[in-house]
Amino acid sequence: MMPARKLLSLLAPLLACVGLLAIWQAGALLLDTDSFPTALDALRAVPSILTDRESLINILDSLRRMAIGFAVGVAVSIPLGLMMGRSRAVASFFNPLLMITYPVPKAALMPIIMLWLGVGDVAKTLVIFLGVSLPVIFHSFQGAKAVEEKMLWSGAAMGLSAMQRMIRIVLPSALPEILTGCRTGLVLALITMITSEMIARQSGAGNILFNAMDMGQYDTVFAMIIIVGAMGIGFDAAFEAFRRRLVRWSEPRFDMPLSFS
Amino acid sequence: MNRRALLSDILLGIVPILLVIGLWQALDSFGYAPVTLLPPPGRVFARLAQQLADAEFQQAIAATLFRLFAGFAIAVILGITLGLAAAASPAINSVVRPIVRVLAPLPKVALYPALLLLLGFGHESKIALVTADALFPILLSTYYGASMVEQKLIWSAMAAGTPRREILFKVVLPAAMPSILTGCRIGLVISCIVVFLAEMITSTDGLGHVLVTAARTFQAVDMFVPLITISLLGLILNALLQGLRSYLLRGFPEV
Repeated sequence: MMPARKLLSLLAPLLACVGLLAIWQAGALLLDTDSFPTALDALRAVPSILTDRESLINILDSLRRMAIGFAVGVAVSIPLGLMMGRSRAVASFFNPLLMITYPVPKAALMPIIMLWLGVGDVAKTLVIFLGVSLPVIFHSFQGAKAVEEKMLWSGAAMGLSAMQRMIRIVLPSALPEILTGCRTGLVLALITMITSEMIARQSGAGNILFNAMDMGQYDTVFAMIIIVGAMGIGFDAAFEAFRRRLVRWSEPRFDMPLSFS
Repeated sequence: MNRRALLSDILLGIVPILLVIGLWQALDSFGYAPVTLLPPPGRVFARLAQQLADAEFQQAIAATLFRLFAGFAIAVILGITLGLAAAASPAINSVVRPIVRVLAPLPKVALYPALLLLLGFGHESKIALVTADALFPILLSTYYGASMVEQKLIWSAMAAGTPRREILFKVVLPAAMPSILTGCRIGLVISCIVVFLAEMITSTDGLGHVLVTAARTFQAVDMFVPLITISLLGLILNALLQGLRSYLLRGFPEV
C-alpha cells in the first residue's frame, strides 16, 4: 500500500501539469481565436525555439546572468544575514535600511541602472543580484537568531574563536533556514531576470516573449511561456532535491516557502 | 527591551540611511556623477512634493491603486477560501496541493503576455497578474495556519456543542488568523511591486507608465519620483495592514 501512495504523491504534480494543459487545450478550443493557440500548438512550437540558434543563445545568456547574479547575491547575503542574526548592533544597523528597500520593485530599477551602466551584462546582473539579496539575508538572519545560546557557550568554553563558532555552529544550525531563503531567491532570480528583460527589451528570454507578441507569432509567445514556466518549476524542484540531501536531518516547517515574488 | 536600548537601536538604524543619502549627495557635489544621471536627493524630493500636488500624477496614483486593490482583494478572497477548503477537506486538498506545487514556483510575470492577449491591454490583465502573484502566499499561509490549529481546540468546541459546520468559522478561521494575516502582508507588498512592473511593461497610465515615459526622455529626476512613490505606498499599506493586524489580533498571545 505504501509504495503505491508514494508513487501517487510523486506523480501528483505531473498529473497537475497534464490537467492544467488539458484545461488550456479545452479553453483554447472553446474560445477559438488566433491570439490564443491550443496547448498542443504551443508545445509543438517549443522545439523550434530551442533549436533556433539565436534564441537559444539569448536564453543561455539570460541563464548565465541569472546564475552569476544568484551566486554573488547568495555569497554576500548569507554572511551578512548571519552576522545580523548574531549581533544586535549589526541587526539594528541594517534592519531599517533593508526594511525601506523591501517594497522597491527591483526590476523597475532597470531603466535607471541602464542609464548609469549601459545596456551590458553588468546592469542586468546587478538587478538580479538586488532581487536575490533580500530574502536570503532575511532567512539567514532568522536562522542565525534562532541558534541555541548554550551551543555557542559550549563552543566558546571549548576554545572556539568567534569566527570558528560562526562557521562550525551558527552556519550548520541555520542551514535549513538559509536554504529556504536560497530557494525563494532562486525563483526570484528567474522572475527578476524575465521582468527586467521585458522592461529593457534588449535581449534575453523576456525579450523573445514580447518580440514574438509584437510580430503576432502567438505560438512562439505561448511556447516561451511554457519554457519559462518549466524553468521555474525545474529549478525549484532541483534545488529542493539538493536541499533534502544537504539537510536530511531537518524537515522544513513548510514544504513551500511563503513568498516567491 | 528598555527604552534606552530601543532609542540607541533607532539611532543606529538611521545611520546607514543617512549614509546612503549623504553618499548620494556627495557623488553629485564632488562631481563624480553628472547631475543629469544622478539628480541630487534634494531635487528629487522637491520634485516628489511638487508631483504629489499635481492632478495628472494623482490620477496615475489612483489608476495604480485601483488595480492594486482589485487584484489584491480577489487574491485574498480566493486564497483564504481555497486555503481553508484544502485544510478542511482531504479530497479538495489532494487536488489543490499538486496544482499549487506546480504553479507557485512558476514565474507569474511570464504569463503576462498571455493575459494581455486574453484580457486586453486595459485594467483586467494587470489585475489578473496581481491576483496570480499575490494568491499563493495568502493561500499557502492560510492552509498552513488552518492545518496547524490545535486539535484540542476543535474537540473542545465540539464538546461544547458547536455544530460541525460552524467550527470552520468559529474555531479554525480565528485560530489561523495570525498566519493568514502574515500571508496577506507578503501578498500586499508583492501586489505593489507587480502592479508597478506590469504598468512598466505595457500601459498607458499609472505610476509604472510615468517611469517609462521619463526613461524614454532621459529625465532622471522623473524616473526616481514614481519609484519612490510606489515604495512609499508599499510602506504605508504595509503599516496600515500591521495596524489592522494588531486590531484583529488583540487578546491573542504575542505572535
